[in-house]
Amino acid sequence: MLRLVVAFLVIVAGLVGTLAVSTPPPRADFTIINGGDPTTLDPIVASWLRDIRLMRCLHEGLVRSDVTKDDLPIEPALAERWEVSADGRVYTFHLRDAAWSDGTPLRSSDFVYAWLRGTLPDSAADYTSFFFHIEGAKEFFDWRAGALAAFVASPAGARSADAAEKLWQQTKSRFHAMVALETPDERTLVVRLTRPVPYFLDICTAVAFVPVCERVVSRYEVVDAATGRVKWDTVWTRASPSIGAMRLESWRFKREMRLAKNPMYWDASNVRIDSMAILSIDDPVSQAMAFQTGAVDWVSDVVAPFRAEMVAGKNAFRAEHAEAVRGLRARGLGPVEIDRALPPDPRKSTQIFPAFGTFFWNLNCAPRLPDGRVNPLADARVRRALALAIDKRAVAEGVRRLGESVAGGLVPPGSIREYAGPAGLGRNPEEARRLLAEAGFANGNNFPTIELLINKEQNNDLVAQAIAKDWERELGLTTAIVVRETKVFREQVKNGNYFTSSASWFGDYPDATTFLEINRTGDGNNDRKYSSKVFDDLMARAENESDGGVRAGLLAEAERVLVEQDLPLIPIFHYVNLNLFNPDGLEGISSNRRSEQQLFRVRMIVGEEAGEKSGGASGVRAVGSGVGSGVGSGVGASRVAGGARRSPRRVSGSRRRVRGAACCVRVRGALRESLFAGACA
Amino acid sequence: MIGLVLRRLVQLPLILAIIYTVTLVLAWKVPGNPLENPEGRRPAPEVVAAMKAQYNLDSFWTFYFSYLDSATGIRYVRQELSGESRLRREQAVAAGRLAPVQPVFDLGPSLSYREQRVNEIIGSALPVSMALGALAIFFALVLGVGAGVIGAMRPNSLADVATLTLSMAGISLPSFVIGAALLLVFPVWLGIGRIPSWGTPLDMILPAFTLSLGFAAYIARLTRMSMIEQLQSDYIRTARAKGVSVRGVVLRHALRNALLPVLSYLGPASALAMTGSFVVERVFAVPGLGQHFVNAVRNKDLFLIIGVVLIFSTFLVLLNLAVDVLYRLVDPRIE
Repeated sequence: MLRLVVAFLVIVAGLVGTLAVSTPPPRADFTIINGGDPTTLDPIVASWLRDIRLMRCLHEGLVRSDVTKDDLPIEPALAERWEVSADGRVYTFHLRDAAWSDGTPLRSSDFVYAWLRGTLPDSAADYTSFFFHIEGAKEFFDWRAGALAAFVASPAGARSADAAEKLWQQTKSRFHAMVALETPDERTLVVRLTRPVPYFLDICTAVAFVPVCERVVSRYEVVDAATGRVKWDTVWTRASPSIGAMRLESWRFKREMRLAKNPMYWDASNVRIDSMAILSIDDPVSQAMAFQTGAVDWVSDVVAPFRAEMVAGKNAFRAEHAEAVRGLRARGLGPVEIDRALPPDPRKSTQIFPAFGTFFWNLNCAPRLPDGRVNPLADARVRRALALAIDKRAVAEGVRRLGESVAGGLVPPGSIREYAGPAGLGRNPEEARRLLAEAGFANGNNFPTIELLINKEQNNDLVAQAIAKDWERELGLTTAIVVRETKVFREQVKNGNYFTSSASWFGDYPDATTFLEINRTGDGNNDRKYSSKVFDDLMARAENESDGGVRAGLLAEAERVLVEQDLPLIPIFHYVNLNLFNPDGLEGISSNRRSEQQLFRVRMIVGEEAGEKSGGASGVRAVGSGVGSGVGSGVGASRVAGGARRSPRRVSGSRRRVRGAACCVRVRGALRESLFAGACA
Repeated sequence: MIGLVLRRLVQLPLILAIIYTVTLVLAWKVPGNPLENPEGRRPAPEVVAAMKAQYNLDSFWTFYFSYLDSATGIRYVRQELSGESRLRREQAVAAGRLAPVQPVFDLGPSLSYREQRVNEIIGSALPVSMALGALAIFFALVLGVGAGVIGAMRPNSLADVATLTLSMAGISLPSFVIGAALLLVFPVWLGIGRIPSWGTPLDMILPAFTLSLGFAAYIARLTRMSMIEQLQSDYIRTARAKGVSVRGVVLRHALRNALLPVLSYLGPASALAMTGSFVVERVFAVPGLGQHFVNAVRNKDLFLIIGVVLIFSTFLVLLNLAVDVLYRLVDPRIE
């Protein structure tokens, strides 16, 4: 009977195994872990950074940011040149002679079709409002929304597939008639804006603005007879040709995604990888181990529990070479180039780049607390006092330990071109006590217990404890930390059902308003229920200002009101992005302040170059799978800029055995040791 | 026997209907909005309203019946019979579009993976979990029964204490510790195997072994216990008296009866193993079904929650049925 069961199991495993298992394709030139599975490949839906990174490979817009430079200047992409009218309202883009990956030429109408998708209320996505800068787009949106409502309200008998189809055809012609987008010929696109928008080209770099191949994508339209809405069968993203540097080769859900070089790409000669694989590994520890075995070349967002130790290892490495680092920095090298010029060391692989995000503390500004009591935080002096009492440096350096910088303002400094934000408030407990007394709460008397609402993500609990301790010690307040599950936490914060809470915001377009607008009265993301006429006025004036410099000044003033005067939120630190890659083996990962990557620009350093760099690149890769990289040998001949010739030296870090590893509980610690402290072996 | 099988198969839809109802009520009550990201910008209220309407999420009962309608295939049959699907296909072709493909049993879209449908997710993940689970149960049987027999032969001997201790460790050690340790030892240090551990048949060994340990430990204890009991019974003494070797007694007589409790444990254990394990899949990056049980609930992905729960329930019912049938084959006393 046991034999029966065993035989049965073996047969099941065998049969199903053949279904489930397949020969893995050969290693791609460039293999990455991109912070989780891609959620979507639809450019108007994508809002996650990891999705946008892939979009940058598969799609391209009229213009793009030059990610190799820290201030990300605009450079031509599918538009080889453009003219702006004297009043700053009309942009004429001249498209280059580009083609989709299936060979059909790019037409200006492909942009019109893509922007129609982006503007429709049917598919209403996060970035629909970006299109409202174009004259007539808002009116079109409202018209369509009204037409859809009327369609749904019409008697059931009138709602047929035919009627829905007719409405859709009417909508398309309406779009062409209402929205100021013109295509004088197949290679010219003329856009008229509602008003001069100095940052319009920056907006055009958003993925929502890339063209889609109308000829193919329109075949996936689905018109819903019941609601009149049009949607696109989501398989279109896998069937559509690509205009970007790479094309989608396969997407095996939860396994891997493969991109291949698009030979039709206009700048194909500058794409140095033929294939790219995006592996699906969710566990942060396994991600780090996959890197260590050489199975992946780049891990984008490292969240392993031992990442603070990784950062410490990297800092120690930099400290050991402090002299050299200073010299290299003086020569104007970026962080990755500096590492590349230093001797090989596994700790180099920890790459810490600034992220386009800020961690702050929400203060509920509503006049009354959720339970009906008068809210002491409605008084700006109290909020300022709370801000002045916090030792942000202790949070960033003592609790987080990831090399994050203390935040004065909300917008990460240097992340927006031509924008200089305010310095923000420093730490001043004396002033804080004075303000609190002035507001009638001397020594914290009569102040209700101040609740700090958090979710259990990352180490929010430790951050909350540090802040609570400051408030107790400096201001004499009583505090209580309330932990909620993420969904509940988010609901509570959204409904203003909290006292104070942890919060973070990541910018999603290259303008200061991406951080500031969440504080405008009535904004859907204004969790603080902050309402200031001064702030709203400044924002409104900036909106209507056509001079870039004046506008930046207005926005900076608005931010100053926010972070130095009213404090609906207390900026604590600016995030960093932790990457794992070997600077000696890989070139082209950008360290800019907006975490923007154009992965098709990367280049694997192999052969002769890697040989002289020694262990670092090829050594790590040889461990584990033993599969070498298949990068074209022609690339190997060129030299890395700034790389001095050095005698080869093997690094044993990645293969170092760890003592006492039999103790399973210490696995994570052991890994940490082997991964990032290797050089001391 | 055939009566039993038929009866159980008739009960299956009823059981599934009850499980569906209970699951949906619970999933519906979970706080949070499935259409919202866990962080970052919130979609505008109109967008949320439109999406809710699109997925029938605005009313419990509408959702309840529309899901039943499409998941049972009734909608498909109805639309085929009424000519609605044909009309739609013709219209799409007339407008120069591709006719949408409609699965018979449509488990709906996934709310968290917008470009996947639950059918596709389960279709790609279930074979993986089944293969892994079957291999794990196979390992568990070999390890567990082996250890149990060794222990029962000489209770309280060194071998017995050793196997008991090992099985205790197997039950207590969480698989993320064992998994991470195995990954560290084999792919990272020794260069055997790879991460992600999925692709070739050999890749299955580490995750299957990790998954099997918990089951193996339990099986070892079950086997040992009932084996000791059997070895003390009269028929064994008779067999020994008639001159049957120890080996023969143990393997031919005692083991056969001692395995009955193991067999009844095997039903639910196989269902559990073959529908995936969250931790093992996560650590080894195996593209199985287990991760969806946890992630679907975390994302409040209604369609996916119900999909995986229904699949698990079906497995549980069918495998328990298989165990009952096996039981009758093994033990004629059971009616």
